[in-house]
Amino acid sequence: MRFVDEFRDAQLGRALAGEILAELEAGRHYKVMEVCGGHTHSIYKYGIDDLLPDNVELVHGPGCPVCVIPMGRVDDGIAVARQPGVIFTCFGDMLRVPGSEYTLLDAKAQGADVRMVYSPLDALRIARENPDRQVVFFAIGFETTAPSTALTLRRARAEGLSNFSCVCNHVTIVPPLRALLESPDLRLDGFIGPGHVCTVVGARPFEFIPLDYGRPVVISGFEPLDILQSILMILRQLRQGLCEVENQYTRVVPREGNLRALEVMAEVFELRPHFEWRGLGFISQSALRLTDTYREFDAEQRFEVPGVRVADPKACQCGEVLKGVIKPWECKVFGTACTPEHAIGTCMVSPEGACAAYYNFGRLAREREAV
Amino acid sequence: VTTTGRSGCDADDGHCITCADEGITMRVTEVRDDGAAIGVDSGGASHEIAVDLLDGVIAGDEVLVHAGVAIGAGR
Repeated sequence: MRFVDEFRDAQLGRALAGEILAELEAGRHYKVMEVCGGHTHSIYKYGIDDLLPDNVELVHGPGCPVCVIPMGRVDDGIAVARQPGVIFTCFGDMLRVPGSEYTLLDAKAQGADVRMVYSPLDALRIARENPDRQVVFFAIGFETTAPSTALTLRRARAEGLSNFSCVCNHVTIVPPLRALLESPDLRLDGFIGPGHVCTVVGARPFEFIPLDYGRPVVISGFEPLDILQSILMILRQLRQGLCEVENQYTRVVPREGNLRALEVMAEVFELRPHFEWRGLGFISQSALRLTDTYREFDAEQRFEVPGVRVADPKACQCGEVLKGVIKPWECKVFGTACTPEHAIGTCMVSPEGACAAYYNFGRLAREREAV
Repeated sequence: VTTTGRSGCDADDGHCITCADEGITMRVTEVRDDGAAIGVDSGGASHEIAVDLLDGVIAGDEVLVHAGVAIGAGR
C-alpha cells in the first residue's frame, strides 16, 4: 500500500540512523519527547530506540487518550451505564480502564448494557434503532476524535434525536504540553509533534513551544522512517541553532489544519474551566464540554453522576510515566501486578500507553547497551 | 459503521480497530450523497465512513480516518 511499505524500509532506516549519529555533539545528552501515544506504540513496535545512539533518549508524552482519564470519570461512566434503560457505548480500550472499584467491562458482566463501538456514529445508529432506550456515548480523545463526536452530535441535533447523549471527556493537547514545559523536573530538548492532531488543528498551536520555550518541534508521521526522520530534523535544528515548528508529515498535515473539522468543533464544544488529568492533576482550559446549543445532549446534565475525585492507587506511577519522569519498567508494579490483562494503571490498558507498548514488545526491563 | 471482510483486529499490527485513537488510512471506493462513503483499509476490510469534514472526496482518494470520520486527505 502506498505510504506504508515505503516508510518501513529497513535499509533507509539504518541510513537515517547513521545521519542521526552525524548530527550529535560529543558529550551531550538529548531528550526528545514524542507527544503522541501512537508514536510511542510505533517506536517500540519497530524497535526505533534500538537504532538510536546511547545519548538520544526518547521520553514518552501524555498523548494517549485512555491513559489520561482519571478514575473518577470512569466511575461517572459506570454510574450512567447502570441507570435503567441505558445503552452505554464507548471505544473498546476504554472498557478495560479501571475505576475505583470496577471497569466498564465489569459493569457489563454485572448486567449493565455496555456496548463497544468503533465510532460515535455507531452509537447514533443504535439510538435510532432503539427509540425507547437512552443511548449514551462516552467520548474520549484529543483533537483527532473530537471532530467525530462533534459531527455525530450535529447529526443527532439535526435529526431531533431525544434519546442520545454524550459524556464528554475530550481533551486538548496544548495545555498539558505547556504544563510539562513549566515542570522543573523535566528537561527536554525537542518534541516529536502529534501528526494526526495536527491534521485537524494545523501547526500554529505548537508555535508557542519554540517561541516561548526555545524548543524545536517536528510534526511527524507514524511509520518508522517518519519518526527517524523527525528525530533527525530535531537534532539538525539543535546543531544549527534553529528553533521552529517543522512539518515532516506533509503528505497528510496541511499547515492550517482541517478548517471544516475546527468549525464543527467550535459549534459543538467550548473549553471547560478545569479538567483533571490522570497523573497530571487539574489543568485549566484543557478539556471540552458541550456548548449551550448542545447542552441537551450532555449526559452529565441528563443523568446523575457522582462527580467524585478518586486518587490513583498508591502503587501506580502512571503520573510519572505520563510526564516522562520515569520509564515504564521503573514502576514498581510494571509487569507483575500490572499487566495488560489486569491493568492497575491506564498506561497499561491502551496499546498507545507507554507501559503497554513496553510490555507487548518485550521490553519488560532493560539496561540500554551502548550502540 | 459497518465493517466487512477481515476482522479489524490485526494481530500483526498489535493494534485494534476498536481502539480509541488509531488513525487508519483508507482508500475511498464509493461516495454517497449524504456524506457517507465506503473506505477500504490496507488489510482489505471495508468500512462505512463519514467524509463530511473534507472537501470534494471522490472514489480513489486516500483518506485518514479516526473513529469512523475522515479527518485528513493524502496529498
